[in-house]
Amino acid sequence: MPRHPHRKILGCVLLSCLLLAGCGKREPVVKIGFAAPLTGDQAPTGQDMLHGAQLAVERANARGPALPGHRLELVALDDQRSPTQAVAAAKKLVADRDVIAVVGHLNSSCTMPASAIYHQARMLNITPVSSNPQISRQGFDTFYRTCATDDLQGPAAALFAVKELPMVRNQSYPMRIFILDDMTTYGRGLANEFEKKARSLGADILGHEGITQGDKDFVPLLTKIKSLTPDLVYFAGMFPEGALLIKQRAEVGLGGFFMGGDGLFDGTLITLATPQAAEGVYLTTIGSDIHAIPSAQEFVNAYEERFGPIGAYSAYAYEATSLAIWAIHQAGQKSRAAVLAAMKGLKDYPGLFGAQNFDEKGDSLIRDIGLFTVKDGTFVFVKTATWD
Amino acid sequence: MTSPPLQLLLQQLINGLTLGAIYALIALGYTMIYGVIQLINFAHGEVFMVGAYAALTLLLAIADLAASAALPWWVALAGCGFGAMLACGGLGLAIERLAYRPIRHAPRLNALITAIGMSFVLQNAVMLFYGATDRHVPSLIPLVRWNLAGVTVTFMQLIIWIASGLLMIGLHVLVMSTKLGMAMRATAQDLKACALLGVPVDRIIATTFMMGSALAAMGGTLFGLHYGTINFHDGYLMGLKAFTAAVLGGIGNIPGAMLGGLVLGLLEGLGAGYLSAQWKNAFAFVILVLLLLCKPTGLLGERVGDRA
Repeated sequence: MPRHPHRKILGCVLLSCLLLAGCGKREPVVKIGFAAPLTGDQAPTGQDMLHGAQLAVERANARGPALPGHRLELVALDDQRSPTQAVAAAKKLVADRDVIAVVGHLNSSCTMPASAIYHQARMLNITPVSSNPQISRQGFDTFYRTCATDDLQGPAAALFAVKELPMVRNQSYPMRIFILDDMTTYGRGLANEFEKKARSLGADILGHEGITQGDKDFVPLLTKIKSLTPDLVYFAGMFPEGALLIKQRAEVGLGGFFMGGDGLFDGTLITLATPQAAEGVYLTTIGSDIHAIPSAQEFVNAYEERFGPIGAYSAYAYEATSLAIWAIHQAGQKSRAAVLAAMKGLKDYPGLFGAQNFDEKGDSLIRDIGLFTVKDGTFVFVKTATWD
Repeated sequence: MTSPPLQLLLQQLINGLTLGAIYALIALGYTMIYGVIQLINFAHGEVFMVGAYAALTLLLAIADLAASAALPWWVALAGCGFGAMLACGGLGLAIERLAYRPIRHAPRLNALITAIGMSFVLQNAVMLFYGATDRHVPSLIPLVRWNLAGVTVTFMQLIIWIASGLLMIGLHVLVMSTKLGMAMRATAQDLKACALLGVPVDRIIATTFMMGSALAAMGGTLFGLHYGTINFHDGYLMGLKAFTAAVLGGIGNIPGAMLGGLVLGLLEGLGAGYLSAQWKNAFAFVILVLLLLCKPTGLLGERVGDRA
């Protein structure tokens, strides 16, 4: 095949670009990778996480270099809440030799496959909020998680729903519940945990169905559920679909309670669902009320001054990023293996939520489940929920 | 208050009809454009999405006005709807002029690829301009529900039926009993012969694009108001469904697109209501495959005589 003349020119240009880039060599960097949905319907949550991570890196740099002679940088990648994109992002982070730890992802369905790639590359991977318990049961020593898991969240939600909700409206036992999930690793996992516990507590499960992420019309499904007259509809999924379910539930005239998991904990839920329809919705969170934790107030104030109201997962992203920075500092060298080894030595790290420790699977030992309700267009903390 | 089976069935038919009316509005554009130049305009779903955003922009602009001057909701609705239709009509004209006319005599595959490219361009343009997150569409229409013998109809549903019904009747009258409509039908039958007889085919094709796009814009307006959230990638799935509806009814056939839209909406509603919500798309597409196996030209067939 004859060579194209302009291909040669292009080659020359590229080569000189490389040479020029080489000339401008700055001080050596060490990078922390970050991956979450930064575009698409879950972008509000992903951006809140990114802000938390950014704040952690900025504050660390202000304190002085975490690793002597190196500038600390955050590389943020967008996984678009898609497992395929998450794997692509993970491979990109692994291929960059400057990246020695990763904070991410948001969705369990993304963290699950990505964690295997980080494990293969022997890179520290701290997920702020992916709560599916299966992720840490894969036996990856590179994996850490700073939140509670759904095998606690599901039962805690079920316990509240079956034992305490009936008292709110003086209803009789047993609670008749219809369960919905979004068929993702997170949603299905949480819904199954909820169902198991609710059944064991004697609730009457009328049905358990999946919906598709990105779908907009749930009216036929809600009409069917209405004809079964449940006392409670439980939805395990994220807020874009949750908001539509809540809005259309009001339009269909489906009564009873509506309850969800931490995926609904985003202010956008109330805007999209309209405050009237969202009034009285209950949800659990994988951690306690951030505004009620004394050790977190300094961070909350700094965050809100800089970025506005704090997001549901901002603090977890901050905590995970701070932990990664701590491990890099402890390691004292730009090496993934050294960072991993340093993380294993962690004990009583003074984090936002108190003294942070991890079990042998990498799950945080701080395991609070919060219970919130929507009142007058905002989330109001009800109590810390228990799971048995 | 458990509804008896008959009421539940009626309720599900009403739900399906609402979604179906929106599908039908979009499907008309696919079928009209296919009728005149045998092109599957894959950018049509994106035109629908742009229509939803245009309506939202107008709605937000009017919101301040409405607060001060107490603008009645129906004036605001009509204003947003017509504004979006105008904007998308213009967009349709521009797409045809810039992207399709220059390659009209090239092999058909070229136009198809161009259509896919156009769809990416529109999607990314909206993403850059309006941002990548879900946008909330403020509710314009009061939430009123009527209960007729255990069957509930909302005011929004009624408006969707009336608006789409009027537009479809208007289109039918235009195509069947005006000079322009006759020219459109003639162009659909034989473009070259029409040109030889002095029909301004370029203008007819451009008009067809404009009308199809305006109908999609109304679909987008109703969609945004009904669901309350819109996103830059909403055009993909809705476009795919509407294209399916057009094929179901017989591509190129205007009454077919209307019928196809309604039938697809009903199938989805019944699938979600009686089988399982997670299988509703699969259910609708299985029916489509079965139907096309038995009747490859769709429900009403490609009636070459009056496709436009």
